Amino acid sequence: MLVLQILINGLLLGGMYILLAQGLNLVFGVMGVVNLAHGAIITVAGLFTFWFATHTQLNPLVLLPVVFVAMLAIGALLQRSLLEPLAGVGRKSELLSLMITFGLSYVLVEIGLDVFGSQYVSLPNLQTTWSLGGLTINEALVAAGVLGAAISGALQIWLRHTDSGKCLLATSQNRIGAVACGIDVSRMRCIAFAIGSSLAAAAGVLIIMVIPLAAQTADSLTILAFVVVALGGLGDYRGAALAAVVLGIAQSAVGYYGGGDAESVVPYLLFILFMILRPQGLGRAVQAQ
Amino acid sequence: MTQATFNRALRPLALASLAAALLCATSAKAEERPIVIGGSVSITGALAVDAAYHLHGLQQGIEDANAQGGWLGRKIELKYYDDKSDAGTAVRLYTKLITEDNVDLVIGPYSSGITQAVAPLINKYEKVMIEPEASVPDIYVPGNLWNVQGIAPSLGYLEGVLPLAKSHGAKTVAVLALKSAFSLACDKARLEQVKALDMSLVYDTTYALPQPDFSSLALAIKNAQPDVVVVCSYYPDAVGIAQALQRAGYAPKFFAEAIGPAEDEFTKALGPIANRIISNTSWWASLKTAGNAAFIAHYKATFHQDPDYHAASGYGAIQALGAALNAVKAIDQAKLHDWLLHNEVQTVQGTFANDPNGAAKKFNQYLFQIQDGTRKLIWPLADAEAPAQIPYTGQ
Repeated sequence: MLVLQILINGLLLGGMYILLAQGLNLVFGVMGVVNLAHGAIITVAGLFTFWFATHTQLNPLVLLPVVFVAMLAIGALLQRSLLEPLAGVGRKSELLSLMITFGLSYVLVEIGLDVFGSQYVSLPNLQTTWSLGGLTINEALVAAGVLGAAISGALQIWLRHTDSGKCLLATSQNRIGAVACGIDVSRMRCIAFAIGSSLAAAAGVLIIMVIPLAAQTADSLTILAFVVVALGGLGDYRGAALAAVVLGIAQSAVGYYGGGDAESVVPYLLFILFMILRPQGLGRAVQAQ
Repeated sequence: MTQATFNRALRPLALASLAAALLCATSAKAEERPIVIGGSVSITGALAVDAAYHLHGLQQGIEDANAQGGWLGRKIELKYYDDKSDAGTAVRLYTKLITEDNVDLVIGPYSSGITQAVAPLINKYEKVMIEPEASVPDIYVPGNLWNVQGIAPSLGYLEGVLPLAKSHGAKTVAVLALKSAFSLACDKARLEQVKALDMSLVYDTTYALPQPDFSSLALAIKNAQPDVVVVCSYYPDAVGIAQALQRAGYAPKFFAEAIGPAEDEFTKALGPIANRIISNTSWWASLKTAGNAAFIAHYKATFHQDPDYHAASGYGAIQALGAALNAVKAIDQAKLHDWLLHNEVQTVQGTFANDPNGAAKKFNQYLFQIQDGTRKLIWPLADAEAPAQIPYTGQ
């Protein structure tokens, strides 16, 4: 029963990690850029959700579709105004894009600090804990984990079973090939950044119910998301989902048996091990077998 | 005597008068210059919630001192920068405050860890520094001559929890601590207390921030089934661990967290989960300490919230510094330091008195419990406003 509880906790934590990482992975896959503002978007969306829920007394999940759609527009605007002008500068564009997202991250964190303050906040919603045959499952973790997995699943279906999704996937796999096939790569970059931003914002709406957030937690979320993406294989969507679940379960088990300090180092230890032994990532390692 | 001769004779006198007038004007201007107290404050970062009360306490103390005419006939100003809850940043800021801003006096930052980093700098520049938020004993040693503690020592944090729990039949204990100077000192003291009280330690761990998930620690606690859970925490982890225990479906009979529950933000973040959590304080609104009623009234009017003990520590530090300055009658660091170590000052948080190493020796520690949304003093029993509500229910 204990092992099953550790597995459930790990799966739910993994669901949250999927949510954290998918947007970053999508942007990297299509644009070849690690969006360093990813954690800042998650955090600002989470803080906005806190502000909204405490001022309106409404369920924060009401915000999920609104924030998702709003961030599509904002993400597209940011990509067009800040990143797309760099597309024509050749090999330097990836480095410049990295620097711009780094700057954007600071701007968003400062906006978060000015608008929402610096304190850690968390929402006391969905705190019911269900007991099922000796297992305990929390409503907020289930909501974050299941919705995270559902959003990730929807993304997979869109990428693999729709024309627009296939165009995006093709762009992430081979940009020159995509251009040769007549795909509007510039448009794909815009769509990828917009959806990546929306996924980050959706993660923020859900995560504020699970862990305390403050504007300055943005960097640690970006790093965690990057570790998940790197473990899964950069740009590999199924690999990232698998890595998120593996990481969640590993942290739950190590935290239970080894304590808090041991749990904290698990993501980074796995990251180093994978970079040495399986730099192609967990997803491609599994596919290869 | 011709007019020209008369003018020549008067010229030196006129020049001397002019010089004297200028000197007087400059001297008067110097006296009017405010006394500037410098310090860093964790406006952002993991310590920001608790540190905001510390800053408000300092600001209120200075406002009230200015309303009473200031110190040495001069107004008082606070010059502070954001250390981002980072010790390295704080060291840079104190260097700037002392060497570039040339502040007259310095006041300690928020938290023991940041103060530990700043302490050598204070010794180097020989500036007396009252530390209203640094509770660990390691700072107040012979090598750190210029540090004066302005808060109850960390060894006493949550000191009453285990005796209180034992008196209600509790036998088993879990202790968790954040890896910070304060929390580890608190952790060490509580672990020793478990042994001294002949209770059984069934779980013990430390963790670091940012820790996104406490579910595995909560599961381990649940599996160990302790009667008492003691967390040597700051605000963010206090919230995270309370949430995780509730999600694991475990409610120990006694649940105590060191720093966090005193703040209104804590009950807002946790909702009903916060009910019956026990925590520590070195100040309370009902105590008949010097200026306490006025402090509370002014603080509420200025900041539209109730003060907590961090605010009282900040306010008390200003009261003590003011008493020292008014006694010494000069901004003389050595004399101020000597006076503070050899005199007692009655402040809002009790008697400000220190041993030769600068450690506070007369502040008291209390326990309070969140009872249906309000905080009630429950220990020591002689000062209790209400009996402890047992057990903690987690909802």
